Amino acid sequence: MITRRDLLKTSSIAALAGPFVRHASEIDAALFARSDDGRPKKRVAIVATIWNYLSHAQHMGDRFLVGYPYAGTWQRPDIEVVSLYIDQKPGDDQSAARAAEFGFKVYPTIAETLRNGGSRLAVDAVVVIGEHGNYPRNHKGQKLYPRYEFFQQIVDVFEMDGRAVPVFNDKHLSWSWRQAKEMVETARRLKFPFLAGSSLPVTWRFQSLELPFGCEIEEALMIGVGSSDAMDYHALEAMQCMVERRKGGETGIRSVQMVEGDAVWTAGVNGRWSQDLLEAALSRSDTQYGDSQHPQDLANNGDLRKLVKHPAAYFIERNDGLQTTLLMLNGAVGDYTFAARLRGTDELQSTQFFLPERPNVAYSACLVHKIVEMIRTGKAPYPVERTQLASAVLDRCLDSKVSGHTRMATPELDIRYTAPRESHYCNV
Amino acid sequence: MARPRITAVVTEYRTNAHAQHIIDRFLWGYGWQGRHHHPPMDLVAIYVDQFGEGDLARDRARRFPSMKIYPTIAEALTLGGEKLAVDGVVLIGEHGRYPQNRKGQTLWPRYEFFMEIVDVFRNSGRTAPVFSDKHLSWNWEWATEMVRTSKAMDFPFIAGSSVPHNRRMPPVEIPQDAEVEEIVGLAPGGVDGYDIHCLEGMQCMMERRKGGETGVVSMHALRDASVYEAMAKGSWEAGGWDARLFEACLCRSHYLSQLRAGFNHVMPTIDEIPSLITTERPVAYRYEYSDGTKATMLLLEGLIHDFTFAARLKGNSELLSLRFHIDSHNPRNFFSPQVNAIEQMILTGKPTCPIDRTLLTTGLTAAGVESLWLGQKRIETPHLAIHYEPTESSTFWRS
Repeated sequence: MITRRDLLKTSSIAALAGPFVRHASEIDAALFARSDDGRPKKRVAIVATIWNYLSHAQHMGDRFLVGYPYAGTWQRPDIEVVSLYIDQKPGDDQSAARAAEFGFKVYPTIAETLRNGGSRLAVDAVVVIGEHGNYPRNHKGQKLYPRYEFFQQIVDVFEMDGRAVPVFNDKHLSWSWRQAKEMVETARRLKFPFLAGSSLPVTWRFQSLELPFGCEIEEALMIGVGSSDAMDYHALEAMQCMVERRKGGETGIRSVQMVEGDAVWTAGVNGRWSQDLLEAALSRSDTQYGDSQHPQDLANNGDLRKLVKHPAAYFIERNDGLQTTLLMLNGAVGDYTFAARLRGTDELQSTQFFLPERPNVAYSACLVHKIVEMIRTGKAPYPVERTQLASAVLDRCLDSKVSGHTRMATPELDIRYTAPRESHYCNV
Repeated sequence: MARPRITAVVTEYRTNAHAQHIIDRFLWGYGWQGRHHHPPMDLVAIYVDQFGEGDLARDRARRFPSMKIYPTIAEALTLGGEKLAVDGVVLIGEHGRYPQNRKGQTLWPRYEFFMEIVDVFRNSGRTAPVFSDKHLSWNWEWATEMVRTSKAMDFPFIAGSSVPHNRRMPPVEIPQDAEVEEIVGLAPGGVDGYDIHCLEGMQCMMERRKGGETGVVSMHALRDASVYEAMAKGSWEAGGWDARLFEACLCRSHYLSQLRAGFNHVMPTIDEIPSLITTERPVAYRYEYSDGTKATMLLLEGLIHDFTFAARLKGNSELLSLRFHIDSHNPRNFFSPQVNAIEQMILTGKPTCPIDRTLLTTGLTAAGVESLWLGQKRIETPHLAIHYEPTESSTFWRS
């Protein structure tokens, strides 16, 4: 049955229905068609720090309202945003306008948002987007987004109301490895599907590379750009989604060390990261700075040291002995690339995690599609431990940074999990 | 085999000209298949027709003394001697100041350069593989003569846009033995510049359909309001194109312009589309293949800023669609797979893609211009009864 609210919403949908749905009658027909399968729409609450233009909440949240492209068609999942919590509302806040246009309510607390104004949990899933907004940083440079606090308030409702629903958490679980661990344990204890992380693991790749499941990796190198702790996190999770497919699965982290400046290059000379992996990864870059009017062999032409004023290397040693490195090379390139050496093969494996540009930032459609998959199926398509590990590695690497760049043993990062065999990156 | 030597013949070599993107890759190498690849050949000579503002040819000759600038095409091919002295020729007749004719075609001297090249071949009793950038010529008769000459003299000849060589999102082909009912290609830009790129993208997909290429029988070009009127029809039969194919292209775009402030990725309504197309006039080329496939190429600058394609296959309710990835940053790596295709031709002596593809797209471009010139009149194209088979493996960038 079409509801009164559906009818009220048609005016807004008419404006967003695509080139060839022009008349209200067509829109009504489309709504009826979707309702006819007998399944009610899944109701979603969004819990976000801030909702303004090109914030994660806007470009991801809007996709639940207006749809998104995937596999060559405009997806309109049977999902309805029914409530929203917004932590900060600066002058360019869009939450009230969105709520008015799309017929949902903005509540002053997370508990009310999840109960949609009633007395019990009233949604089928919660999407947490705790990215962007004005929050303090700590001495390690971490922006103290209240993702853990949001999560705790969400699970408080789950526990009080005796029911839990799937939760998505955008980006790292928390700036703190302890909080991230607790979040994963809570989801496990309350048995609700929990998906999290970056869009990099699920966006397009150039080339279309997935490491063979169960491969033996001898060494892996990731190149990233941007600031800490926003972008190094993305790079760490991109690397993680590749190396977790290795033989034996993820075995956890034995130690981490972050170095900066000349120590990065010295480590390369000493063989701590490999020159040929650097060349392989850089060969996948489509954005070169410096003398970029012509193609550059940045791995070998000696310009890297000149271009990268503040290099950083994140050394991550795994419990099974695998050495992995993230190099942050701001000034040389503008994209995220990866290379690995597999045992028994001559050729290196390499790819770029492609981030389509503004305004469409189409990578977020790839991520939203995975959230939709979880909401539809009730199963997280890939393990939250991937994000827990990336969150924890970053936190401890930043400990290394503020502790004189020393190597830190990390028995607390004994995070073991098995990756899904199937691919989840966008290739359709 | 000795390391091949090659010559470049270009209109202009300046920042962001095609000559820069292609020739620079022979000089500096480029990222390819997981390493920095240096083409296994030496660029030893270059002819530059115009040394305009921002010229890079002299800078490159200074940086790479092994590449000498010659004042004539003949000397660039003979290295100042009597006979052809190189093993491959890269002809880039794009960019520079050249006049336009009344129909709006820029009179790039590609045919003239090509004829000077084959004169050297004739005088030397020897030929070499030739690459020619973009469409063969603005003039259909000249284009056919170029292809006829290459076949008569039996030298490998490839041409065209970088779009067919590029990364595809997703990396797919028209399945072998698929019958194609209708296709739509969508691109930015204007007539006689970007139409050829879009047509080449469409054609490299189409040529793999069942029966191979059999040619095009008619062309009807539309401009301005007629484009929107045809768009509203929603189907080929009604005088437009399949609305689902057009929507699939829009869904594949990563640069879909937005009308509403504050939204970053909303599908525009059909009524909103005209207000997004402001900097170039909208154009549609509706053309029919002799085997019945209907095709529409759309230039809608302002609505999108990338190249997309969609096809409806017989007996398949799901559309096939993709985006040709033309990356927007330096050093414009979308030229890399095209340069690699040139290298492979020079190394193997075999064309890496069919010259008849570019002959057909050259003819389609000229026919589109002609149809517009005649007042958006549908024209029969018996001269485009071009039959050819695709090369066994596609050159698009996969690995």
